[in-house]
Amino acid sequence: MNEEKMLYHVSGAPFVRSKIDTQRIMLDVLIALLPAFCVSVWQFGVQAIIRVVVSVASCVFFEWAYRKLMKKDSTIHDLSACVTGVLMVFCMPSSVPLWMIVWAALFAIVLVKQLFGGIGKNFLNPALAGRALMLAGFPALMTTYVVPTSMAGVDAATMATPLGSLYDGAATSYSLMDLFIGRVPGCMGEISALALLIGGAYLLYRGVITWRIPGTFIGTVAILTLLFGGEGYGHVEWMLRNLCSGGLMLGAIFMATDYCTSPVTPKGQLIFGVGCGVLTVLIRYFGGYPEGVSYAILLMNLLTWAIDKATPQQQFGISKADMKVADAEKKATKAAIKAEKLQKEVERLHAEEGKR
Amino acid sequence: MPFKYYGGVHPDEMKQPTLATSYIKQPPQVVIPLQMHIGAPCQPLVKVGDHVTMGQKIGDNPAALCAPIHATVSGTVTAIEPRRHCVTGDVVPSIVIDNDGLDTPCTDLAPLTPEQLKDPDAILTRIREGGVVGMGGAMFPTHFKIQSGRGKVDTLIINGAECEPYLNGDHRTMLEHPEELLKGIELVRIAQGVDTAYYGIEENKQDAIDLLNSLNPAQYGVVIVPEKVKYPQGAEKMQVKANTNREVKPGGIPSGVGCNVVSTFTCWSVYRACYEGRPLIERVLSVGGSAIKPANVMVRFGTPIQHVIDELGGFTKPIDRVVLGGPMMGFASFDQSCGLIKGISGLLCFSEEENRDVEHPTCIRCGKCIQVCPMKLQPIHMYMYTLKKDYDNMNKFHVTDCFECGSCTYNCPGRLPLTPTFKMGKSMLKARDAEMRAKAEAEAAKKEAAK
Repeated sequence: MNEEKMLYHVSGAPFVRSKIDTQRIMLDVLIALLPAFCVSVWQFGVQAIIRVVVSVASCVFFEWAYRKLMKKDSTIHDLSACVTGVLMVFCMPSSVPLWMIVWAALFAIVLVKQLFGGIGKNFLNPALAGRALMLAGFPALMTTYVVPTSMAGVDAATMATPLGSLYDGAATSYSLMDLFIGRVPGCMGEISALALLIGGAYLLYRGVITWRIPGTFIGTVAILTLLFGGEGYGHVEWMLRNLCSGGLMLGAIFMATDYCTSPVTPKGQLIFGVGCGVLTVLIRYFGGYPEGVSYAILLMNLLTWAIDKATPQQQFGISKADMKVADAEKKATKAAIKAEKLQKEVERLHAEEGKR
Repeated sequence: MPFKYYGGVHPDEMKQPTLATSYIKQPPQVVIPLQMHIGAPCQPLVKVGDHVTMGQKIGDNPAALCAPIHATVSGTVTAIEPRRHCVTGDVVPSIVIDNDGLDTPCTDLAPLTPEQLKDPDAILTRIREGGVVGMGGAMFPTHFKIQSGRGKVDTLIINGAECEPYLNGDHRTMLEHPEELLKGIELVRIAQGVDTAYYGIEENKQDAIDLLNSLNPAQYGVVIVPEKVKYPQGAEKMQVKANTNREVKPGGIPSGVGCNVVSTFTCWSVYRACYEGRPLIERVLSVGGSAIKPANVMVRFGTPIQHVIDELGGFTKPIDRVVLGGPMMGFASFDQSCGLIKGISGLLCFSEEENRDVEHPTCIRCGKCIQVCPMKLQPIHMYMYTLKKDYDNMNKFHVTDCFECGSCTYNCPGRLPLTPTFKMGKSMLKARDAEMRAKAEAEAAKKEAAK
């Protein structure tokens, strides 16, 4: 050691940290989206690749540009903008014009995410919000589905999605297997339930998500559709077709589990999942538009903070009996305060009586 | 079969349990703070210029909550003056002894007779005289813990979890002195007045579990309980939950639910104090981290930190942080000339390699902190409200219940400084409570005066 005094880094415990950081989590999500990406490339060819690239590039660019303009440190290295880009384009059809993707990215990243403070502070899922805006603004373009590769023989330029025909009562030629594997027209990332489930399994294995939100979400939809049934199919097949079509798998596994727009308490996550499921089924049955997942999640996003507040964790060391005692005590004090007030009131009245 | 508890994390173990305990050259000078434990500080019993022997009592206080302090080397007292405490950073009265290198043992404490070894009170007195405190890190005087638990405690738990990464002191003690350890546990058990002591050991120490089981622990009234490897298994509340399924109330201590938890090294120290008449003057220190050669060394208290580092060959890499204790609950050392104290079980020298802090920590609301909090708290909200100094909500989210295990902070992908913030929050709440109380008292006094 030389003459210079050696300086040490001093900080509070703990001094070791898990290897998993934000960037690694987002990378895991991107990895989990790979199977779905492969299916969409298989079905929609180079158009899918172009759209994913444009979406990711514009999301990252807007994030970088906004932070730069606002003179804030750049956050693009945490990969959350990439995840938003991929998810947003995954719930759009492959025929959507590129300029729409750029607009949606601008809206999602700047308005929904960055204006509220960036990652962890937005209250709506940016990808879904971007999609919802485009759907409201350009409904025709957002619901035009091209014929996928696996159905190349079909004599048409565009076609309806299986979910649309499911609720229209129109006859469809898709088997359950087609729906499960993704041999159907639809949004780029939504078509294959299998690919999305593989991604979900990976996320569960890596501990990125828990079973709570996707499990209760999908479970609620399954139970409700099984109970209510629908035209043209037996109850079980109706349920399975509901599960495998539309954006349910993508929504339940990747969108509803978005960290900053879903509750953090375990109990809250269960409520959130059930709420998403109920709203999805309600919109599918009674809404004017067949797909309910994205609006169901957006609506529940708005309730996230309320759910968190309503479902605090029961701390260690407090048993149910303790809770009862505490409740009883609370009630007793309330009653005592009430009685005291009443007593004072009576005294006051007596005094007034006396004055008269 | 141990009971489960919520939360917990699995940090990389980084342990070196195969390195046998080594001895280093004793330092030319030791600095022994007069306050090493929780409770009343000791008063010096020696003067400057006195010659002391190794193990001689040099500080004590008649207060109930106090453990005496012994000279850890033989030599001459050169100063009794305020020096920096290596953990708190406070300047506390300390005794400085120049080592004469002879290690002349002190004969004040004779080994207990076989009759005394069966007498709870004799053992208790010896535990106090031996200066034994909780070696898990809290440094709570052991005799006081046992005494105050009498009549309340029906279950004695010995803590052998050693769940913190890098630390092997307890594991080495189990492997190197298994029989002495079991005898020490028996003494604590007799002093506590219970029939069985449950010895909770994490399953990553299978060799130690097998070795202890082969010595027929039942004859000492000890039952070995293999526990799942999970941090913070070694926390008192978690040990109580794992062994008895009882939950210590918020703000309470284990004896509130009839349990006492005593650590492994404490039990071995009790053995040495009772069977050999040797007070607590040294402990196994696990040295680790990427910037130093790992080792398990026996160090005397008061040894300057720098001396240990030098004896082990110094830093092998540019140093970033020196940590006293475990990496999850330890303290960053700020001055390497301070003397080591009883509660410090590890000396970790970290280079940039271990540093995963970021410049701008950002919460992404992943809720992973909630998933791992063993106290079932909500660190994400506690953090938010503590930064805002929102005292009501801090209380509502039970900031004071956090025992600073660091699990949430370890697991945080956004790298928030959660645990340090809660430490700060707890002292903020304490200060506010004191302020409120003072205010109320002042008002009451005013009213009194007005009358």
